[in-house]
Amino acid sequence: MTNLLALVQNETLKVWKKKRFAVIVLVLLVLIPIFVYAQMKVAQNNAAKFADWRSELQQRITDNMNSLSSNRIPEEWKKWRRSLVQQLQYYLDHDVNPDSPNAVTFTSSFVDRSVSLFIPLMVLAVASDLVSSERTAGTIKMLLTRPVRRWRVLASKLIALTLYVSLIIPTTAGLCYLISGLAFGYEGWGAPVFVGFGMNKTTIDTTSVHAISQGAYLLMEMGLAWFSAIVVAFIALLMSVLLQSTAASLVTMMAAVISGTILSNMASSWHSAKYLFNVNLNLTSYLQGTPPPIEGMSLGFSLIVLAVWGIGAVAVAFAVFTKRDVLN
Amino acid sequence: MIHPTKHSDSRTEPEINRQFPSPNRPASKLWPILGMTMAACFGLMLGGFGWALKDVWHPAQGLAIPEAATRAKEAGGNWEAKEEIKVVALGDSLTRGMGDETGEGYVLNAIAKLKEAFGKKARLVNNLAINGLTAARLNKQLANNGYASFLGQADLIFLTIGGNDLFRIARNGGSFEQGADVSPEQLRAKLPEAEELLREAFGKLRDLNPTARIVYIGLFNPFYDVPEARAFSDSIAEWNAYAHRLTAEDGNATIVPTYDLFESHIARYLSSDHFHPNEKGYARIADRIVQALQ
Repeated sequence: MTNLLALVQNETLKVWKKKRFAVIVLVLLVLIPIFVYAQMKVAQNNAAKFADWRSELQQRITDNMNSLSSNRIPEEWKKWRRSLVQQLQYYLDHDVNPDSPNAVTFTSSFVDRSVSLFIPLMVLAVASDLVSSERTAGTIKMLLTRPVRRWRVLASKLIALTLYVSLIIPTTAGLCYLISGLAFGYEGWGAPVFVGFGMNKTTIDTTSVHAISQGAYLLMEMGLAWFSAIVVAFIALLMSVLLQSTAASLVTMMAAVISGTILSNMASSWHSAKYLFNVNLNLTSYLQGTPPPIEGMSLGFSLIVLAVWGIGAVAVAFAVFTKRDVLN
Repeated sequence: MIHPTKHSDSRTEPEINRQFPSPNRPASKLWPILGMTMAACFGLMLGGFGWALKDVWHPAQGLAIPEAATRAKEAGGNWEAKEEIKVVALGDSLTRGMGDETGEGYVLNAIAKLKEAFGKKARLVNNLAINGLTAARLNKQLANNGYASFLGQADLIFLTIGGNDLFRIARNGGSFEQGADVSPEQLRAKLPEAEELLREAFGKLRDLNPTARIVYIGLFNPFYDVPEARAFSDSIAEWNAYAHRLTAEDGNATIVPTYDLFESHIARYLSSDHFHPNEKGYARIADRIVQALQ
C-alpha cells in the first residue's frame, strides 16, 4: 500500500511539475473575468430597461411564449421552452428571483454551462498525455524497467488523475466565486433555488418541486460535474494508453466531447445516441428538471451510461497497458 | 520486451524524483499540502455528488419559502400628475409590434412621443403582449398572479385585442390571408361572443388596477383594398362602437380609432404580411394615442 501511495505521490508531482495545473488556473484567470464582464454588461442593460427583476422575468416569460407561437421552431425546442416558461412562472408566482445577481448564482450558472465542454477540456489538459507523454519522451522504458508491477503504475496514474479532477472543479468554482464577487458581491449562499421540476407531455409537474439553498445547489452541481469529469478523464486515459502520441489522444477526446454538445442539440430524433457518453455529460440539467436532450434520458440512465463507459475504459486501459509490448 | 516484475520494498523511493532529480526538499513540502488538499476536494465532490443523488431521488423537505406577498399597488391617483408615467402594454401581435422591422411597434413609439408631449419621464414596465392572443386567452392570463402585480403598477395601460378572435377563424387556425374563407357573415356571427369576452377583459383589468387610464386601440380592416372583404368594415365598426361603449361606461378609458388610417393608402402602412401595420403604420397609431391623451 505504501508502495502505491509513493507511486501516486510521484505521478501527482510529475503532473504538477509539468505545470499542467498552472495552465488550467491561468486559463480560468483569463476567462472568468471576461464572462464576469459580459454578465455585468447584461445586468446593466437590464437595469436600464426594467424597473425590477419581476418585470424582467415577466418579459422573459412573455418573450418565450411569443417564440412558442411561431411555427418555425422545432417541436423539441418548444418543449424545452415550454418547460422554461413554466419554471420561470413558478419562480415569479413564489416571488423568488431565479438569477439574482451575486457571486454564488454566477458561479453555479458558470459550472452549469461548463459541464459539457469547458470542464472536460480542462480535464483533458491533465489526462491526455498521462501515458502517451511517457512514450513520446521515452521515459516509459525507465518507468517499466523499475521493479514495480505494471498495473500498479497505471493504477497510480489513475488515482493521481482522479485527484486532479477533484481539484479542478473546486478550483474552478472557487476562482469563479472570488472573481465574480468583485463585481456582484459575495452574498447569496442562502437564497432559494427550486429543484425537482418534472415534465409531463406539455405541462411541468411541480409535485416534487422543493427549494434548496443556493449553496447546497452549487455543491450538488459540482458533485455531478465531478462525476462526468471523472468519466471523461478515464476515457482520456484509455486514449492516452492506446494512442502513441499526445496530440492524437487530445484531438480524439476533444472531438468526442465537442461532438457531444453538438449531438445533444440536434440528435433528439436519433434515439440510440443516448447511449453515447458525450451526450450524457450534462448531469446538472437533471437537478433543475430541464427536459433531457433525448427522450427517455434520466439522471439514473445517464449515470449508468457514464459509469459503464468509465469502467469499460479503465478495464481496457489496464488490459492493454499490462500486456502491450514496448518496442522503441 | 520489458516484463513487469514482482517487487516489494523501499526501492521505489528514488523513483519519486526520477524526472526531477535536484529539488528534493521543495517536493517534500509540496506533496503533503497538495495531497491533503486533493483528498479534501475528493471528499467534498463525493459528498456533493451523493447529496445531489439523494436530493433527486429522495427529496428532503426543502427550505420554507414565505408565501408570495401581494405587493403594494404603487399606482393611484391621476396619471397626469405623476412625475413618471408607467406604461404596461397588453394584447396581441399589434402591441408586440409585429410587422415593424425596427421592432419598436406602436408601444415604444408612443412612449417616446408621450415624453415629448408631456415633458416628463415615461417608461414601459412591461410589454406583456403575445402573438396570436385572443380575448379568451387574455382573460385567462389576467387571472394569472404575475400579471396582476405588473398591471397594478401601471398608470397607463395600452391594449389591443380582438383581431385574432374575429379574423382567425377556426379552420386550421388559418387567418384570412392564409386562405381561410372568412365571409362577412361569419365575421358578424363571431361578434357577440367576442364582445362578451372584451367586456370581461375590461372588467378584469379594472379589478386589477382601479385607477390606470386604459387606452384601447381599435381594430381596423386590413383587407380594405380587397373588394370582397370591404364588407368586414361594417363588423369592425360595430366592434369599435361596442368598445367605445365599454370605455364610456368605464369613465377612465379611451378608445383610439385606427380604422380610418388604413383605408385610403392601405399598402403604404401595412407590412408585407398584409395584416400587421409596418413602421409607418405603427407611428401613425402612436400619434393617435398621444393626441387622445393630450
